[in-house]
Amino acid sequence: MNDRSVDTAKRPFSRLFPYEWRMMTPLLAVMVIILAYPIVYSAWLSFRNVDLTRPGRDAFAGFDQYAAVLKQPLYWTALTNTFIFVAVAVTLELILGMALAVSLKKQKRFRNLTRAILLTPMFVTPIAVGLMFRFLLNNQLGLVPAILQKLGISIDFFSADLALLSLALIDVWQWTPFMMLMLLAGLENLPEEPHEAAYVDGANAWQTFIRVTVPMMKPIILVAVLIRALDALKVFEYVYAITRGGPGSATETLQFFVYKIGFGYYRLSEAAAVSWTVVILVMAVLVLSLWRTTRGRSA
Amino acid sequence: MKKSVFRMLALVLSAALVLGACTRGGGGDGGAGSTDGTGQTETVTLKVIMEEVPDTDIVMGMLDEFNQAHPNIRLDIEALPYDQMRDKIVASFLAPRATYDLIVVDNPWMYDFASAGYLEPLDDRIQQAGDAYNYEDFAKPLRDIAEVDGKVYGIPFYNYALGLIYRTDLFEEQGLQAPKTLDELMDAARKLKSGDRAGIAMTPQRGYKVFEEWGNWLFAAGGAIQDEAGNIVLDSPQAREALTKYIQTYKEAAPANSLNWAFDEALRATAGGQAAMMLSYNWMLPTLNNPDGPAGELAGKFGLAEVPGGKAVLGAWFWSIPANSNNKDAAWTFVHWLTSPEQDKQRVIAGGAPVRDSVMDDPQVHEQGFGKDYYATVKEILKDASPLGDGPGAEEMIQAVGLELSAAVSGQKSVDQAIADAAKQAREIMSK
Repeated sequence: MNDRSVDTAKRPFSRLFPYEWRMMTPLLAVMVIILAYPIVYSAWLSFRNVDLTRPGRDAFAGFDQYAAVLKQPLYWTALTNTFIFVAVAVTLELILGMALAVSLKKQKRFRNLTRAILLTPMFVTPIAVGLMFRFLLNNQLGLVPAILQKLGISIDFFSADLALLSLALIDVWQWTPFMMLMLLAGLENLPEEPHEAAYVDGANAWQTFIRVTVPMMKPIILVAVLIRALDALKVFEYVYAITRGGPGSATETLQFFVYKIGFGYYRLSEAAAVSWTVVILVMAVLVLSLWRTTRGRSA
Repeated sequence: MKKSVFRMLALVLSAALVLGACTRGGGGDGGAGSTDGTGQTETVTLKVIMEEVPDTDIVMGMLDEFNQAHPNIRLDIEALPYDQMRDKIVASFLAPRATYDLIVVDNPWMYDFASAGYLEPLDDRIQQAGDAYNYEDFAKPLRDIAEVDGKVYGIPFYNYALGLIYRTDLFEEQGLQAPKTLDELMDAARKLKSGDRAGIAMTPQRGYKVFEEWGNWLFAAGGAIQDEAGNIVLDSPQAREALTKYIQTYKEAAPANSLNWAFDEALRATAGGQAAMMLSYNWMLPTLNNPDGPAGELAGKFGLAEVPGGKAVLGAWFWSIPANSNNKDAAWTFVHWLTSPEQDKQRVIAGGAPVRDSVMDDPQVHEQGFGKDYYATVKEILKDASPLGDGPGAEEMIQAVGLELSAAVSGQKSVDQAIADAAKQAREIMSK
């Protein structure tokens, strides 16, 4: 007993930790500093009452912040708006991205050129895209309303009914190429044999696509949709650059809501609490969908 | 083929990451280079944060003169867009060593900053400056904003009170006078609308903008935001009347599909001849009447009047010294110099927005500036003007009310509902 404990204490560092762990320490240290610390700190914040412009009020607050957040109607509006935004944007991106990927795969000449051109929207900073569309869709100097007016159509892109949809379409413009790229990579890696078999069996192009291509692409589609959905959940720049959450609360999204509370009103604890409700929600969705795919794969 | 696609994917992803990192890192490099000035022989470097606006450029243009009088005080001015300023200022308040020795404070921030103890009271310094400084000369509504719980925390820098900017030529054509009441304003807006041209360019964007504009309508209807004791009195029949008329005018006479418009859009429409009037900052008049300015050929055809009803929404910037500033005396030396009657006169002649009564009365300013009429009108505007919010949580109250107003203008809520909700939230926020 005594012997063993002395032995452990004397055992050098290298024997306590296996080689693999030691190789990982630099990365782990970085992750702790840049990821774990802020996350834990924000969780700690959410149980207190930190308000930068009222420094005297900081104290442990239990779940008060969470209760206050869930009581705000604007929080639920923001949540609904964000999910509508994600659903509309990602669905359209998936459909358009798939269509583009399928046609690009069949392309024979100038493949790299077309791909490069199609990818350009991704390289623009979202805030610049927001500002660009703010002007493009501006009734007074925008190109889009001017063209529509020639056709006798007058649409207010940022009215209460359409503003959220307009922002989702901007997201589609910018991020469809990403979807296309992911799906194209998947398509290029599919085996040819099942397609040839379907051709021999007399299936037409549509049947082949639905019955053969899509089922084989499922894991890739899932990953692509997840990445895009998580990214779209973070929508902030378009809202900030164009509508500031308006008109009314029509485009109030979660990130903008958090920004407003945290950096607009300096109630850091409340902002942290809102963020954590989002984290919990996203984790739930993520775990559920990944669990389903892994189960599907092992079956 | 497979390989090249993956290589492309990797390239794209890494590029996207790098780009993302750049945008995120872009704003945060300002605080790093602050020098403590101890190495130099008694020269003090003041780190100052200001907004990227013409009034800041004017101050920068006066620095040489300041340095002739005070060669041992150097100013390092960091000019930022409005949206980035407040975060940096608050970060500097909380830092163990202040980033900024001197700051400018917007009026909705004043109460919260001062009551949190972030700002240095200036009463003693003002008293020491004596009669020559003549503090009472600053327009009273401006001084009131900077006074929190009986102490002064800021010296007025420039005002942005609202006025009615209108096309004098169109008004003459129609035989109209500058409107004195809400009904006359609505009437003029209706009459001046023709074809491509809107009667009035409005700024119904959610938040500060819609409230800043509608506040003038509220005052004109005889309503108020807060009473003398600071209680919210927004849910009044006058407020409902003002909002009903505001929405009616938006529908009848504002440019089509302009629900999202803010200052820039309204200015562009007015400067481009697409709108006959706008409620905007009084100092936009000289800009619009400048032949080299945004209005081009229309320059000279704009006039400034008090807002209908005579009581305007007041905005103003103030010079304040952070409580944790490293160089309070030097900061005060600069503020004292710049805002003294003589230098303030020079600043206004150079195009700065006036804050001192004596400067607005000065014939030399009239002559070298933008004419007697302009300064007389601004002086009238500043006589009766009130900020949107005064008290704790003013910034949040403004945002909350602005949201409700925008919901009413865009048809998501009825006028009664929006006013009731706005008043309820404003009360909750200001009593927190």
